[in-house]
Amino acid sequence: MIRVELQDEIAIVSLDRPDKRNALVPAMLEQLDREIQDCAHKARAVVLVGEGKTFCAGFDLKMCADDPGGETMRQLLTGLSAVVRTMRAIEIPIVLGVHGAAVAGGCALLGGADIVVADEQAKLGYPVVKIGVSPAVSAAFMMASIPPGAVRTRLVDTELISGADALRIGLVHETVEDRGDVRGRAVEIAEALSKKPGSAIRATKSWLNEICSPMTDHAQRGLDVSLSLTGSPEEQERLAALWG
Amino acid sequence: MTQPTQPVLLETDGLIATLTINRPDARNAMSIEILEGMHKAVDGLASSATSVLVITGVGKAFCAGMDLKAVLIELSGDAAVGEELLTSLARLTLKIRNLHQVVVASVNGAAIGGGCGLTCVCDVTVSHKDAKLGFPEVDLGICPAVIAPWVVKKIGAGMARKAMLMGGVMSGQEAFDIGLVDHLAEDRGGLEELTNTLAQRLATGGPKALSATKKLLNEIDGSHDEAMVLKGAGLSASVLATPQAQAALAARIKR
Repeated sequence: MIRVELQDEIAIVSLDRPDKRNALVPAMLEQLDREIQDCAHKARAVVLVGEGKTFCAGFDLKMCADDPGGETMRQLLTGLSAVVRTMRAIEIPIVLGVHGAAVAGGCALLGGADIVVADEQAKLGYPVVKIGVSPAVSAAFMMASIPPGAVRTRLVDTELISGADALRIGLVHETVEDRGDVRGRAVEIAEALSKKPGSAIRATKSWLNEICSPMTDHAQRGLDVSLSLTGSPEEQERLAALWG
Repeated sequence: MTQPTQPVLLETDGLIATLTINRPDARNAMSIEILEGMHKAVDGLASSATSVLVITGVGKAFCAGMDLKAVLIELSGDAAVGEELLTSLARLTLKIRNLHQVVVASVNGAAIGGGCGLTCVCDVTVSHKDAKLGFPEVDLGICPAVIAPWVVKKIGAGMARKAMLMGGVMSGQEAFDIGLVDHLAEDRGGLEELTNTLAQRLATGGPKALSATKKLLNEIDGSHDEAMVLKGAGLSASVLATPQAQAALAARIKR
């Protein structure tokens, strides 16, 4: 479900479940976490992209609906939080490419990236309150990326915004016209980063992490808030209704 | 008899003070002498009855950043200069942030590295489409930690992350697009008028209202965190002293 290719000094990590629009399941997040940690030992920059038509549709909600106890949702939220924290913690920079869509848990992955490229028409957002899930798990890293007003709007509003609008609020740092060019451009940026002096890049990334720590220190609290709602009747009813 | 050249010029016209970095032959790079001149000027402004301060540079550049020749140990023979310069820059930015005046950076040309960091500590930045701004530190194997807190406060952490990790420089237009520049003139020729119009408009504000507002904004965004900025200076200095960074700087200077 996760594929890693080494290309010169960069590692290209792909979400590889294209028939499900790369929807996340617990084992996939565990593997992603391990692979990203591993990249720090064998590459100088990481690219995170998705196979198939879109980057990532979020959690596999069918799997969540089939587990009324909420354990799958708990594992997904916990795994997502761990991956984002790992992305931020590894010493080398991560370039994330969004083609097509980055929705809910898929969009949350942007919080761990250093540089985000998307296509202008890509759809991005966190429409999870409509299924009774709180996106609080993403809030700390969003606050450390985009202006606070935009964080608030994006987390409570179920609307998906375009890559072009995401660029305007800083959720995305660069756009390309054609979704087919996202991966190539992300690789290009990572290659450029891999050629810069590694010690300077590592020192700069880790210092920026420290500057942002007043916000990102809330990551665990955010996860706890999201976890507190799992298995609630509201969530279970709304999840079941998706297939009703 | 000609006067000895002043490294920093300070003029006052009514409520508006203008500080000009005057080292055009070195693109206004920050040497110890320049930084001392700026400290002295800024110290004097703390008790001045002006309400707006404009910072700009003589000649083609605003400020090319740290004086690379001064921090190259091979040339200076003194490994302590780098840390001295960086600590002085850190203290200068803290002083500028705490001035009661509203501070405007009028970026007449290149604002690079520490020079671009200097614009970020100002309250408002004016420039023109063809100016060059950016943080190419990582390209030279050095680390912009000393100014990073101000860059994060100016353009937000996400965009600051991109700008400082990607290195390189951008045009005035690109800097305007990401909020590094607040007002943009068509060209270098239009900058003076745009700066004057802005400074005069700012000076119409009640001095107490302006300084109270600035003080509150500083409290909210953590600008009083001196330890953070000084720690950044220490980190920049430690990266600067590494053999890799020194070799990259030597190669740049000899180019």
